[in-house]
Order: sequence, then C-alpha cells, then structure tokens
Amino acid sequence: MTETEEKTGPPVTLIDPIDMTKLDANFRRDISSMPNGEELSACFACSTCTAACPIANQWNYKPHQLIRMILLGMRDEVLSSKEIWECLTCFQCQERCPQNVRVTDIFFDCKNLAAEEGYVPENIIALAKSLVEKGQLYEIINDWEREDLGLEPEVPGLSIEGIQSILKGTRTHKLVEGDE
Amino acid sequence: MPVYSLYMGCSVPANYPNYEAAMFKVAEALGMELNYLEDVACCGSPNLRSIDSFGWLLVNARTIAIAEKSGHDIVTPCNGCFGSLKDVLYHLKHHKDDLKKINVELEKMGLEFKGTINVRHIIEAMYTDIGIKEIKSKVTKPLDGVGIAIHYGCHLLRPVDVTEFKPEVLQEMVYATGATVIDYPLWKQCCGATVLPVNEQLAIRLARDKLKSMKESGAVFITVVCPACGNQLDLQQLGLKDSYGEVYDLPVLLYPQILALAMGMDEEDIGLSMNRVPADPILDHLSG
Repeated sequence: MTETEEKTGPPVTLIDPIDMTKLDANFRRDISSMPNGEELSACFACSTCTAACPIANQWNYKPHQLIRMILLGMRDEVLSSKEIWECLTCFQCQERCPQNVRVTDIFFDCKNLAAEEGYVPENIIALAKSLVEKGQLYEIINDWEREDLGLEPEVPGLSIEGIQSILKGTRTHKLVEGDE
Repeated sequence: MPVYSLYMGCSVPANYPNYEAAMFKVAEALGMELNYLEDVACCGSPNLRSIDSFGWLLVNARTIAIAEKSGHDIVTPCNGCFGSLKDVLYHLKHHKDDLKKINVELEKMGLEFKGTINVRHIIEAMYTDIGIKEIKSKVTKPLDGVGIAIHYGCHLLRPVDVTEFKPEVLQEMVYATGATVIDYPLWKQCCGATVLPVNEQLAIRLARDKLKSMKESGAVFITVVCPACGNQLDLQQLGLKDSYGEVYDLPVLLYPQILALAMGMDEEDIGLSMNRVPADPILDHLSG
C-alpha cells in the first residue's frame, strides 16, 4: 500500500452514521417483553447467525445487524424492512446462536409488530384471506386424483366454521377485513 | 394396535394425495390405526404466525384440544403442520399466561387445552411405535443400495427443543428399505418453499443450490416427508430446465412411497405417476 494514494471517499467498510435522534428506546423493551425476547440482550454480535443464514448474502441488513438494530432502537428500519418477511424460518441462525438468542422467533415477533403497524406483503394478506374464508391455504383442484387413489374427494375433516369463529376479533381478521 | 388422530392439514390432500394414499397403505401394513381428525382446519403455516401469533396459537390450540378429547396423539405427514402444532404445544406448556388467555377463548367453544397429548410426525410414530426391526420384517423387495438424498425439512428438525426430532430417525427408515443414504453438504439447508409468496426468484435459487448439492454428491433419488418441500424440489426441477437449461433428473419421493414399494406394494396404489419428475426409475432398483 502506498501512502501517496489519494483518498476518494470513505472506506467501503463504513456505513452511513445512525441518526441517534430517530432511535426508539422502547423498541428493545417491546421485543424483549414478547415471548421469545428473553435472551435478546445476550447478543454480542458475533454474527454466527449471519454465517448460518443461507440468504444473508442478498440482504442489506444481515441477521446479526437486525438484532443489533433492535437493541439500538431502529424501529422503523426493522419493521419496514423486506428482510424480516424474506426470513425462511429455517431456524439455522437460532440453532447455532452461542448465546441462545431465539433469532428466528424474534423475527416472527418483529413481523407481528410490523403487521400491527400495517406493513404486510400483499401475498401474505392473500394467504390470510384464504385461511379465513376457506379454512385452508391450498385447495383441491383435481378431486378425481384423490378418488383414483381411494381417498375421499374433499379435504378430510375440514370445518370452515370452526376456524372462522376462533379467528373472529384477531389481527388476522382485521387485516383481511381491512383489505376489502 | 396403536391408534392416532391424523391431522392432514390442507397441503397434502390438495397437492399430494399420493402421499396420503401411500401413508395409509404403509400404516395399515404396520398395524397403525389412523383416524382423520374431524372439525379442524389449516394450521395457518408460518405465515399466520408472522402476522398474528395469537391467532396462530388459537387455531392450533383448538386443533390440539379437539384431539385431546379422544386421548390419542396427533400424527401428521406435513412438516408445516408438525412445526405449527408442535410449536404451539411447546409455547403453551412454557407460557402459562398465554395458556390462560387461550383457554378463555376455547371455553366459548366448549373446548379446553390441557396438554395431555403429544404431536408427532407420522414418520417418527412409525419409527418409535412400530420399530425398525418390525418395519424391516415387512420389506419383501428391498432396494439395491441405491443412493437416496434425504431432505428433512427445516420444521421437522428445528428448533430441536421444540421438534424433538433426530435426523437419525429418517436415516434409519431409509436404510430399512435397503437403500443407502447419501451425505451431501447442504443437507440442512432450506428448500425455499416458505419464501415463495414474497420472493420467487430467491425460492428458486434455494431449490437449485439444494438440488445441485445432492446431484454432485451422487444422489439418484430424493426423499422428503413434507408436501411443501416435496413440491419445491420436484416442481422447480421443471422450471430449472426452462430457465437455466439444467437437468437434474432427481425423482422426489415421499418416504412412504419408497417404503410401500419395498414392501412390494403396487406403484398405482401409491400414485407414483403423480410425482412430476418421473419416479418410475426407482422400480429398476427393487430386487426380490
């Protein structure tokens, strides 16, 4: 490396400074108080979760960064991120965390908060709608295939009324209704 | 004869009736009584948990409470259903405050979650309650040592404190058919099915990584125990042919289909022709 080399910009390892005025000190408390947040503050940012994640390479915020962002209070950035919805829920990060942080479960909690604030991908709403209206995510198209195999033509044991009645008043119901 | 409450979910009946049929054939041969759980609906999948964890607890606690009335364990052939039900069972056993709230809602329907039964994957029930020795004794046409790559599926294995499932279970079940289990580097990796609704390209990439890893390690067939994983690994092979010009030719069989064939059952009875990547080459590997 030569010392005369002209500097053209900040080193690529630096990211934009965090705007401290926008941090929400309650965010970490919100997540910690949810059922999976007990070990949240045990994270020491070793990034083992990121090493375990099969899709972190195409995320702007890596799993260990998302956990750090929760601890710092970057509420809007986390809840409006695409990353939490792309999480495969494969639990590899959670399995390998040396600090027992329930990383995948915490992302589920983040999505719940995001949903409460109205950030839900359209296709997920469509699935919720199918669940509320039909009691199922997948419908039988070729019932003759079932009959050929000696199976009853309909989904065995399905009751739509039961699931509709239990989901009444839940966030799922509100999200689906709000969509109409 | 062990008796079980069978929870089908919606994916197997809709997309994989061949899995359902093969499971019944094998269960009957092994002396397991499977009774469809009535008055239930879809588990909601991880998608419901993402948007509404309380609603997800309610739906699955209701299913478990219904099954508790008969006293038999729930078995299911779907990793998604298994993951949801098992997760809710674990949650309600560890969070008494949520359990109280859930039971207030269930009481309105004349139900109560007590936590008296277990939720199990059908494969684990076969392994534990029937046993490898008994299963082997029913194998009349063992496979000739053909290399099978197991895709376990994430929600069968993890988190292990919730699922209580050991990979050795499925390995031993495959060996019991006379086949060989192929080791491959990405054995733990996700098939990509869960990300399909929000990022299809990413889902395709994950399936491709997985198939490549299996093929390069010498697998001739793939076995799965989940309709979502099965769909992803089977169907995406057709897409990969079109989009990347890559041919993997790796038939994807639901585990009970393999066991059924090794037990000498007819390929038509287990809907072998419904597997999208032609699965009939497996017939060449049967001996006896």
